[in-house]
Amino acid sequence: MSRPFPYSYISCPCADTPIPDPAKKRRSKESSQKATPERTDATDDAATPKQEDNQDEGDSDEEQTFDPRSLRSNFSLYPPEQLLYCEDCHQIKCPRCITEEIVSWYCPNCLFETPSSMVKSDGNRCGRNCFNCPVCTAPLAVSTIENVTGNGSQQGPWVLSCGYCMWTTLDIGIKFDKPTNIRSQLQKMTDSTASPAYDARSRQGSRAFGDLKSPLSTLISAEGQPSAPNDNENGNGNGSEEQTKEDSTDVAPANTDARFAALKTFYRNQISETSNSPNDPLSEFGFSSPGALNRLMSLYASSSRLSGLYGGNKKAKSKPPVMREALTASEGLRVTPAGEEAAIIERLASPEGGWDSIASLEQRAQQSPDVRFVDELLPLPVLLRTKRAKRCKSCKHILVKPETKPQSTRFRIRLIALSYIPLPTLRPLALPAPSSFTSGTVTQTPDLDSLPPLRPVHVLLTLKNHMFDPVRITLATPSVTPGRVASKVTILSPQFEIGANSDVWDEALAGASAPVGDSRLTGVRTAEKVPEAGKVWDKGRNWTTVVLEVIPGTLPGSEADTTNAGNEDAGDEGAVTLKEDEDVLEIPVFVHMEWDAEAQLEQQNVGKASKPDDLVARELAYWMVLGVGKIQAAL
Amino acid sequence: MSTSSSLRQSQAARPDSPHTPQQQLRSGNTSFASNTSPGSSFRNEDDAIIFEIGARWLRAGFEGSSSPVCVVGFGPEDSRRAGDYRGWIEGGSGARPSAQPVDAEDWTREYELWRLDLRQTDLGLVEDKIERAFRETYNQYLLTDAGTSRLVLVLPSLMPHPLLSSLLSTLFSRWRFPSITLLPSAPMSATAAGLRSALVVDLGWAETITTGLYEYREVTTKRSTRAMKAVLQEMGRVLTSVASSSGQDGASTDEISVGFKYCEEIVSRLAWCKTEAQNEGNGHLNQNISIPSPTNPEQEFIEVPFSRLAEPVEKALFAPDVPESELDDEEKSIPLLVYNTLLALPPDARGTCMSRIVFVGGGARIPGLRQRILKDVSHLIDQHGWSPIRGKVIERQRQRLAELRISTPINGENQSTPTDTASSPEDEKPDPSKDEPEIDFVEQKLRRQNKDTPVPVQGILREVDSLGAWAGASLMTSLKIRGMVEIEREKFLQHGLAGGTRDSEPAPDRRSGLRAGDRSSWTLAGWA
Repeated sequence: MSRPFPYSYISCPCADTPIPDPAKKRRSKESSQKATPERTDATDDAATPKQEDNQDEGDSDEEQTFDPRSLRSNFSLYPPEQLLYCEDCHQIKCPRCITEEIVSWYCPNCLFETPSSMVKSDGNRCGRNCFNCPVCTAPLAVSTIENVTGNGSQQGPWVLSCGYCMWTTLDIGIKFDKPTNIRSQLQKMTDSTASPAYDARSRQGSRAFGDLKSPLSTLISAEGQPSAPNDNENGNGNGSEEQTKEDSTDVAPANTDARFAALKTFYRNQISETSNSPNDPLSEFGFSSPGALNRLMSLYASSSRLSGLYGGNKKAKSKPPVMREALTASEGLRVTPAGEEAAIIERLASPEGGWDSIASLEQRAQQSPDVRFVDELLPLPVLLRTKRAKRCKSCKHILVKPETKPQSTRFRIRLIALSYIPLPTLRPLALPAPSSFTSGTVTQTPDLDSLPPLRPVHVLLTLKNHMFDPVRITLATPSVTPGRVASKVTILSPQFEIGANSDVWDEALAGASAPVGDSRLTGVRTAEKVPEAGKVWDKGRNWTTVVLEVIPGTLPGSEADTTNAGNEDAGDEGAVTLKEDEDVLEIPVFVHMEWDAEAQLEQQNVGKASKPDDLVARELAYWMVLGVGKIQAAL
Repeated sequence: MSTSSSLRQSQAARPDSPHTPQQQLRSGNTSFASNTSPGSSFRNEDDAIIFEIGARWLRAGFEGSSSPVCVVGFGPEDSRRAGDYRGWIEGGSGARPSAQPVDAEDWTREYELWRLDLRQTDLGLVEDKIERAFRETYNQYLLTDAGTSRLVLVLPSLMPHPLLSSLLSTLFSRWRFPSITLLPSAPMSATAAGLRSALVVDLGWAETITTGLYEYREVTTKRSTRAMKAVLQEMGRVLTSVASSSGQDGASTDEISVGFKYCEEIVSRLAWCKTEAQNEGNGHLNQNISIPSPTNPEQEFIEVPFSRLAEPVEKALFAPDVPESELDDEEKSIPLLVYNTLLALPPDARGTCMSRIVFVGGGARIPGLRQRILKDVSHLIDQHGWSPIRGKVIERQRQRLAELRISTPINGENQSTPTDTASSPEDEKPDPSKDEPEIDFVEQKLRRQNKDTPVPVQGILREVDSLGAWAGASLMTSLKIRGMVEIEREKFLQHGLAGGTRDSEPAPDRRSGLRAGDRSSWTLAGWA
C-alpha cells in the first residue's frame, strides 16, 4: 500500500551484487570447507524457511526469484522515475550505486546560496534570518512586538514569531534590537559564558578560541594557578574536595559548548605542559612532539596490563610530567550536584508542567542534548540544502549535474533511466462482469483495493519505449508469487517487441490502422476483445500492452484459506496474524530487453566498424515489481 | 622536531594524495577529487567526521564540535521503499496502537539497527540500513561529500565481528573513505568528562555496560540486559494495562499493544525513577498527570498517577522483587552490576573509579536514576564491604569474629560500616589511607616526588558528568590524537577484518609515535 494501485517499482540490479566481505574471500581461500557453515547461515538469514520451501529449488543465488516481500528488497526497489542510467556501463543506477558531489549549498527558505567556505562555520544552517519554530518546525517570521500586539509602527524590539503555533521568542525571553542578522544576535544572547567560540560547530571559532587566548582561557589560566597549590595543602583531606567543588560550581561553564571548550583548552594545556619540547604552549606544535605523542599513542591500548603505561619500562627513568585529569569546573569537570534531578522530577510532576511543557523527542533531536523542557528550546536556523551532482560509482561517468544557482531547477546533465528502459504502466482490464453477479452486459473494472481471492483478474501491462531503437522484451514471472499469499500469475504473451520512439508524425502518417488513444479509450473496445495466450493485447508506435492473468491467493487465516491450504502449513496454526502489507498483491516480473544500438563514436573508431550498420547488440535485465492491488480477506 | 614535522606532513598530505584506484577506474579519475568544487577540497583538509552508532541511534558530526550535527534514529519508516510516504500520510506507524498485542521482542525489532544476537540478525539488511542511514545523514545534515574525509567511528568496545565486518565493508565499498578510525566509546565518555580513570556506566539500548577504566584502559567490563529496551518494554506493558483497564478488554500481560513511538515518547518525557527504593509518601508525586491516551494518542488524554510512570524503570533496571540469587549473570540489576564491576577492579583502581562514575547512554537522562543507582551501590557497599563472599555461614562467622574483636582488616571495615556509619560512605573509605600508621617509604618517596601534583579524589562515591562518547571522540580527534585502530582502505579491502594483527599490544615501533606514515600492519586492538 505504499502508493495508490496499480504501481510499479524497479529493482536496481546492484542489489544482486552484495557487498564483498574481504575477510570471507580470504577465509575461503584458506580453506573451502570452512566456508560451508557460513554459507548455510547466510541462506538461513536471507529468507525464512517457508519461502525457501516454495521456490528454492537448489538454484544458485543469481537464479533466485526476486522476492518483493523480503525486507531487503525495500532497499533496492525504486519507482522508475527515481532511477538513473549510466550510458557507459549500460546499467540502471539507483541512489546506492552512485556517488554524489555537492555543487552548491543554499537555504531552502531564502534561496540564498551559501559559499562553501561559510557552510561549516554556520553549522550547516542558514546564517541569515531564516529560522524554524522549535515547537512545530514552521518557518518563523521577524516581526516587531508592536506588530504582534497590533500596533503598526515598524520599530522597537523585534521577535521571531511562528505563524502556525503562535510561538514567539518572547516565550523564552528573547528580543532582538535589529531585524537583521538575527543569527549572530541570537548567538550573542544564548552565549552567556562570553566565550567567543559559542558556535563550537565552527572549527575556525574553536580554533581561534584556543589560539587567541580568549577571555575564558585567560580566566582558566588565572584560576588554574591558585587552585593547584590549594589542593596540595589540603593533601588527601576530603574536605578540600567539597570546597573546590563549591568553588568550581560558581564558575562552571554552563552549557555544553562552554564545557566542551573548557575541556578542549584543558587538554591542550595538558598536552603542551607534559610534552618535553618547550614550544609555545598554545601553538599546535606543542603536541606533535615525540614525548607527548608517545604517551598519547598508548592511551588507547585496551590492554589491561598496566606495565606498558607511558611508553615502556626502561625509558621511564626520565619520567615526563604526567597528564592529569580535569580538577576544576573551569577545566570542564562537572560533578553532578545531588539535588539536580529531584528538581526535574518535581517539575515533571507539578501541575503547571504536564505533557505539553516537556519537549518531545522530535523537538529535542535538533537541540542541545541537555534540553528537557519546551521553554529551553531555541529557534532553529534553517538547515541548508545542497545541489548535488551524481556520478556512476563504478565508472565515474557523470549522470546528473544540476545548475549551480539555487533558483534554477534545470539540469545540465540528467540521464534518467526512463529514457532508456521501458516505462511500465499497469491498469486493470475491464471485463464483462461475471454472470454470477449481474447479467453480462455491464463492463466493470475490478476494485484494486479489494481483490476477491481465487478469482482471476486480468491486468494490462503497457511498456512504453523511450529509446530510438526498437526493443525486444522478454518477461518472466514466477508462476506463484513468493510469500505466504500465493497468487498465480500468467503472462499471456511473455515475448514481444516495442517499436522505436520515432517521430510522432510517423505514426500519424502510417495511417489510421494504429489505435490512437492508448489508455482510456481501450475500455470501450475491450468489451469485444478477449485476452488470448500468446497474443499481444495491443500495440502502438512505441508501446505494447500485454495481459497478465492473476489469480489472487488467499490470505492466511481468512475464511477462504481452507480451500487453498495445500502448500501452506502456516494455515493450520490457528491465530495467524497478517503481517504488514502481506495482503498486497505484488508480482515480481523479470524483464529482459535486447536492442541494437548505434555504436558510440569511440567504439566505431576502435575497430567495430566491420559490423554492419554500426549496430551493437545491447541487453539489459532487471526485476520489476508490479503492485496490482490488495487482496480482500473474505471471499 | 624532525619526527614531528614528518608527522605533520604526512597528515597534511593524506587527503590530497591521490589514491591508487581501487576498482576498475579509468585514467583521469584522480582529478575528480579536486575539481568537484573549489570549497570542498578546502573543507576536507583535516576535518574528520565522527559517527557514533548504536542499535537505535546514530550521531554524526564534525570533529571539534561539542555536539553532533544530527541524531538520527532507526525505525520502520527508514526501511520503507523509496517513494513510500506512508509514514507521513498516516502520521507514523508507531504512534497508534497495534491491532493485536505484539510480543515484546517483536515490538522493538523493527526499531533496531541490529541485535547483538546475530542469529536473529540479517546482516545484509543491516548493511542496507547502514548504507541508507549514512547516505541520508551525509545528504541531509553533514552536507559534505561522503567519503572524502577521514571517518571516525565510536563503537562499544565489544562488537560481534560479523557486525563490525559488515559495517566496515559497507562503508569502505560504498564510499571512498581513505581510512576509518575506531574509537572505543567508554574511554571517550571518560575523556568527555575530563577524566583519565572512570567507571563508565552506559545505560544503552540492549545492554547496560559498565566499564572500569584506569588511565584510559579498559580494565573490567560487565554487562547486563537490564537496559533501555527492557525499560521501554516494561513501559509498554504498563501502558497496555492502563489502556485495557480504561476501556478495552484485557490483553495478556506479556504482550504489548501500544505503539512503540508513543511509548518511547512517554519514556523520554516522563519516565522517572524514585530516588529512594521505598518512598511512597510524598503526596506531590502521587498526583495524577495527564498523558495522551494509549488507545488514541492524537486526540485523547488520560490521567495516570505520576508514580506509575516510575514503575517501569524500577522494575526493569532494579529488579526490586527478585533476590540476587535468582538473577542470572547477564541480568543483574544495575546497582549490583556497578558494585560487581567495582569489586572486580584492583583496589587502587577501584578507589579511583568509584569516585569517578560516569553515566552515559539514553538511560542516563531519566531523572533520578543516576542518584538512585549511586544510593543503592553505596547501600551495597555498606552491606557487604568489598568482599565477594556471601552466605549465612560467612555472616555468622563474621559476627562471631566481630564479637571477638579480632581485627583483621576486612572485618574491621565490615564491622564498622553496617552499624554506625551506614549513611555516609565518605567516612568509611579514608580509613585505610589516612589512619595507616605504617611508614611506607615508597609511598613517601612518591609523595615527595609528586608534591606539585594534586592528590586525586578517591574512595568516595561520586558522579561526574560527561558530555558523551561522541563529544569525547570529537575532542580527541580535534586534538590530533590518533586512535589505536586506524583501518586504511587498501588494507581492509585486501583482507578484511582478518588482515588486522591479533596482538592488542601495540608493536614497538608504534610506540615511538611514528605510526602515521607507513604502517605495514594494522591492528584491531580491543576489537580483535
